[in-house]
Amino acid sequence: MRGFFVIAGALAVGIAAFAPPATAQDYPKDTVTLVTHSSVGGGSDVFLRELSKYLGPALGANVIVENVTGGSGANAMARLASAPPDGSIFYATTPTFIYTSLLSNPEATYKDLEPLVNVFTDPEVIYTAEGSPYKTLQDVIDHAKTAQGTWGAANPASLERQLLERLKKAAGVNAAVVTHEGGGDMMINVLNGTLDIGVGEVQEVKSQLEAKQIRILATFSAEKLDTLPDVPTVKSLGYDIVARKFRGLAGPKGLPADVIAAWEKAIPAVLANPEYKAVYTAADLRPDFIPHAEYGPFIESFVAETEAFLKETGVIQ
Amino acid sequence: MQSAEILVTTPAILMACIGVAWGILGGALPGISPSITMALLLPFTYTLEPTSALILLASSYVGAEYGGSIPAILIRTPGTNAAAATVIDGYEMNRQGKAGLALGISLYSGVIGSLFGLLMLVVLSEPLSRVALSFRPPSYFALGILGLSVIVTLSGGSLVKAMIAGIFGLMVATVGTDPVTGGNRFTFGTADLLGGIEPVLIMVGLFAVSELLVQATQKDTTIRVESTARIEFPGWKLARRLLPAQMIGNVVGTFEGVMPGAGGTVASFIAYNEAKRWSRHKDEFGKGSPEGIAAPETANNTVSATAIIPLLAFGIPGSNSTAVLLGGFLIHGITVGPMIFVKSADVVHGLYGGLFVASIAQLIIGIMMMAPCIWLVNRPRAYLNAFIFALIFSGVFSIHQSLFDLSLVLGAGVVGFFMRMLKIPFLPTVLGLVLGYLVESNYRRALVISGGDHSIFLTDPISLGLLVVAALFIAGSLGRTLLETMKSRRTALN
Repeated sequence: MRGFFVIAGALAVGIAAFAPPATAQDYPKDTVTLVTHSSVGGGSDVFLRELSKYLGPALGANVIVENVTGGSGANAMARLASAPPDGSIFYATTPTFIYTSLLSNPEATYKDLEPLVNVFTDPEVIYTAEGSPYKTLQDVIDHAKTAQGTWGAANPASLERQLLERLKKAAGVNAAVVTHEGGGDMMINVLNGTLDIGVGEVQEVKSQLEAKQIRILATFSAEKLDTLPDVPTVKSLGYDIVARKFRGLAGPKGLPADVIAAWEKAIPAVLANPEYKAVYTAADLRPDFIPHAEYGPFIESFVAETEAFLKETGVIQ
Repeated sequence: MQSAEILVTTPAILMACIGVAWGILGGALPGISPSITMALLLPFTYTLEPTSALILLASSYVGAEYGGSIPAILIRTPGTNAAAATVIDGYEMNRQGKAGLALGISLYSGVIGSLFGLLMLVVLSEPLSRVALSFRPPSYFALGILGLSVIVTLSGGSLVKAMIAGIFGLMVATVGTDPVTGGNRFTFGTADLLGGIEPVLIMVGLFAVSELLVQATQKDTTIRVESTARIEFPGWKLARRLLPAQMIGNVVGTFEGVMPGAGGTVASFIAYNEAKRWSRHKDEFGKGSPEGIAAPETANNTVSATAIIPLLAFGIPGSNSTAVLLGGFLIHGITVGPMIFVKSADVVHGLYGGLFVASIAQLIIGIMMMAPCIWLVNRPRAYLNAFIFALIFSGVFSIHQSLFDLSLVLGAGVVGFFMRMLKIPFLPTVLGLVLGYLVESNYRRALVISGGDHSIFLTDPISLGLLVVAALFIAGSLGRTLLETMKSRRTALN
């Protein structure tokens, strides 16, 4: 399967390279390639494959997905940076590409790409074991004031850890933020009571939630979640922290205006498609369309915030 | 049953058959050990779904254990180390013109061994892993330490060399992202190293590439086989006579498989000795005894299944072959260890089903593979090795289309070549590589939880228990080594 997509992607690029230069009339292209750094079945891959089904008709082009894995997004960024900015190829952005750009010294960084538009925000939630004594986020914070609190984040250099460090600061407590090798690892430690709370995406904890093994205490999203109407937002509890785990698209630098216009039209149309809406609502993805003019500054501010966090925690100099 | 369902819905049967056939070929080639046979397949399993991939790898292990006996019987050269015990009586039977019967006994003893081993695997793994959910970071740290303590029994001579190898593996494991702070370590700014060095690449380099490099320095001394032997299965009377020897093989294989560091070779020799001790036809041993083939061949095939027990239950690979199998799990993002029965139960059940098919299919495929095996063993080494090089590099390149990966494999091969020259064992390196991250991250995680207090490793009951076992294990091996040195000194004095 994967081999097929890679070949299909390579062919598509080949065709694109020999096509005459883009003019205002001939966008959209016959084939648009969406590149992700995640492997088949990974978060961004599923996002793109679902999206591509509805995007094809809305954009009037064949939309194919190409997995350029390896280097935590570095390979995918390099692939994009060397592609022509004619709207034939885009990259699925997540906070990962910012982290990789800041943490290592890849061939191409976020600076070599041009943010196109944003599509979704993934809600991040705080959860605890069903049997734990904490009924609210305040219980957790009160506990951390008197004893050693233990809070879990899936990965060391991640948005989740950043959120917990900010929560610690906002609440004025000194909890130990314990990092893991992915969400599954952390879930075990929440379930066996080693950790007071864990932070993760709703989709990741869904099966434990349905099995009633965990309780969700709060969400880092700007508003309450449709699927979990009883869960308060962290902001409403008095801690001004909102997670921006964005999922959008970026292209090579210098995207022409007609390409941008076509996508600014297509993405809201796809998000309004009732069939697609049912799919992404069930997957707990929040539509969060950010037009091109605002998306660049949005990414810039995310970079500034992340860079400051990484410097403060001593990860980078 | 779930296993049955998975067999029908995935190409598991096909994978099991391909795995066995491949394993027999690899096992039959002298110098290509079961772990190399599996390592060669490893890169190709990336694109398969996890259950098929693991069945393919585990089945090739089963096949290789039988395949090793073919050249052992026909040309007095064991194809695998574990077939060395088979040479004694197997080649003798061949000289008496009973090569076909010897191969038949080896094959069907192998089937019995694999089936018994599989039974043990199914019965023992899950109960052992029941404690899964109670494993906290300090417990995982202690588990990793127990795994690393196996190094002292793997020295095969020099403990210092084993330690060098182990520490080298631990050092390689520190490359990549720091497990607690998220900073970069030894990545030299390249994104290629951000995710760490994949154990799989190192294994392929160490096991396969280094073997080819060593063979390139030697003269092609392969003895050409002129065999028209047809596999012949023993009759009822002989089969009944072989039964006790096979039972001994089963029991020895189970113990040696579960014990980390022992493996098929030790099992074969112990089974051979025990079968001889308990046999009614002791005098026939060494002169072409059928039991002398049945016992070791049952034992090494039993090991091919029971060696998976510590891997599944605790995530500890006890041999080179299971280390490669662990690589197969890692490729598909499956964390091997106590939680596997909760998180990836379908994969485990599929693996059981696949191994069952492989054990049975061995009978037919074993007969079918005879002619190709003899043909392959007769090819000039140089051509054969060139083909294997092509197989390695195309396989590795197909993983990420990365030239960097290729240079890593080559580099690991060169390191492996020098390790062989200096007689430094590989398995400690592989253990260090796969357990290093587990040990380090859980050690530091436990200290983050306890606020820097080391007593957390003694207050956690599982951690305490495992650390005590590790200490006893090390003390026991050291005591035994000491005793042996004293004994040999005394004999030297006399």
